[in-house]
Amino acid sequence: MSAPAQPGRPRRVALVPGVLALLPEYASLVDPVADLRAAALGAVGWLAEAGPVEVVADAQGQRVAAHLLAEVGGVATQPLDAGDGPVLVVANGTARRGEKAPGHLDDRARPFDDRLAVALGVPAGAAGAPDPAALATLDESLAGELLVGHVAGLRALGRLLTPERRAEVGYADDPFGVQYWVVRWA
Amino acid sequence: MTLKLGRHEFADDATLMMAIVNRTPDSFFDKGATWAEDKAFDRVATVVEQGAEIVDIGGIKAAPGVEIDAAEEKARVVDFVARVRAAYPSLVISVDTWRAEVGDAACAAGADLLNDAWGGADPELVDVAAAHDAAVVCTHTGGVTPRTRPYRIEYDDVVRAAIDDTVAYAERAVAAGVDPRSVVIDPAHDFGKNTFHSLEVTRRLGEMVDTGWPVLVSLSNKDFVGETLDLPVGERLVGTLAATAVCALAGARIYRVHQVVETRQTVDMVWTIAGRRRPARAIRGIQ
Repeated sequence: MSAPAQPGRPRRVALVPGVLALLPEYASLVDPVADLRAAALGAVGWLAEAGPVEVVADAQGQRVAAHLLAEVGGVATQPLDAGDGPVLVVANGTARRGEKAPGHLDDRARPFDDRLAVALGVPAGAAGAPDPAALATLDESLAGELLVGHVAGLRALGRLLTPERRAEVGYADDPFGVQYWVVRWA
Repeated sequence: MTLKLGRHEFADDATLMMAIVNRTPDSFFDKGATWAEDKAFDRVATVVEQGAEIVDIGGIKAAPGVEIDAAEEKARVVDFVARVRAAYPSLVISVDTWRAEVGDAACAAGADLLNDAWGGADPELVDVAAAHDAAVVCTHTGGVTPRTRPYRIEYDDVVRAAIDDTVAYAERAVAAGVDPRSVVIDPAHDFGKNTFHSLEVTRRLGEMVDTGWPVLVSLSNKDFVGETLDLPVGERLVGTLAATAVCALAGARIYRVHQVVETRQTVDMVWTIAGRRRPARAIRGIQ
């Protein structure tokens, strides 16, 4: 099913949002996150091709990751120091991007997400180079106020990525007032 | 178990709207509004648009009145069934009749289901259903003669009587050769029942569901609703929907109705509360 990780090649890293609507217990007749789901499954499938996947997520994000991995036939592994296997980070941007957003409108939300997009290497949804230093030093206090999903995971990306990596965007949108990205770094 | 209604099959968790289409000049609710064939055909188009899976075409009103013989009943129903069959191949066509002769002609014209509201008054109806591989609705009437009103009928246990009679009828249908997947039971609210009986049948509908036979309920705007709320025909929709909700929670599968849209929403809501259906599209709080 999965090829062993190859030493010397950069770890495959991907980001998906911790959207509970991705879980089967919250399924609807019409999937409200069909496009996001397709992109997330694509990214997780790409990770799983490279071996057991290390998951960086909070408790809810772990459930999302476990479901996505199960859907693509992948397996999760325990975090390993200096491992070189693929990594799935479950995190997302702010949840205060509009009056109907979960946290209502906060004018600081969109600028924060814009800065975060640049740091991820996906400014305005385009492919670019990540800024690991910016990720590693994200303002946790402001992120908390803006209901960012799992800021620790975003900061972990700062340690996992290098400026030489290139982002591939699978999804970048905020259909429900929350900023989602699905990104792969090869 | 899959529900097979003539040409059509439905999953065992599906609920179905059976829209009433009267080819009568005198039925209690519409008072002849669809007596003319074109008006009845327009009614079919409307209820199909509203999402009804089944139309129940009837040529004789249930209440006492001018006698309609089999020839006249066939004249009202059979050609109309053929016209609906041709126009709506995927629609389930039910015919509301107790007469085997009418059922036979209707099935030959394309009917899928014989809705015998009078509890097997004509014993050959099940043979007709079997011969055409049609489905049959087995109702409980307490043994009354078709087109009579209940008068001082009492039961030791109306629900026990309804279960015993409808299950016996269902078994008779299967013995006659009707596909077991094509047999539906119906307690028949207000047929051979006073308002207290119909209320009790509603309250204890789960006991009928527990028989394992799919249950049809025909509640729409009936007198037990009107007497309960002291409301005339035409003002009974809310009461009908309340009774519908109770039956849906108990697990009734088919709803014979005048108002398709309102009943569909009620049943979908209750079916989802009961955990038998997913919300249409839920994202609030889980995005």
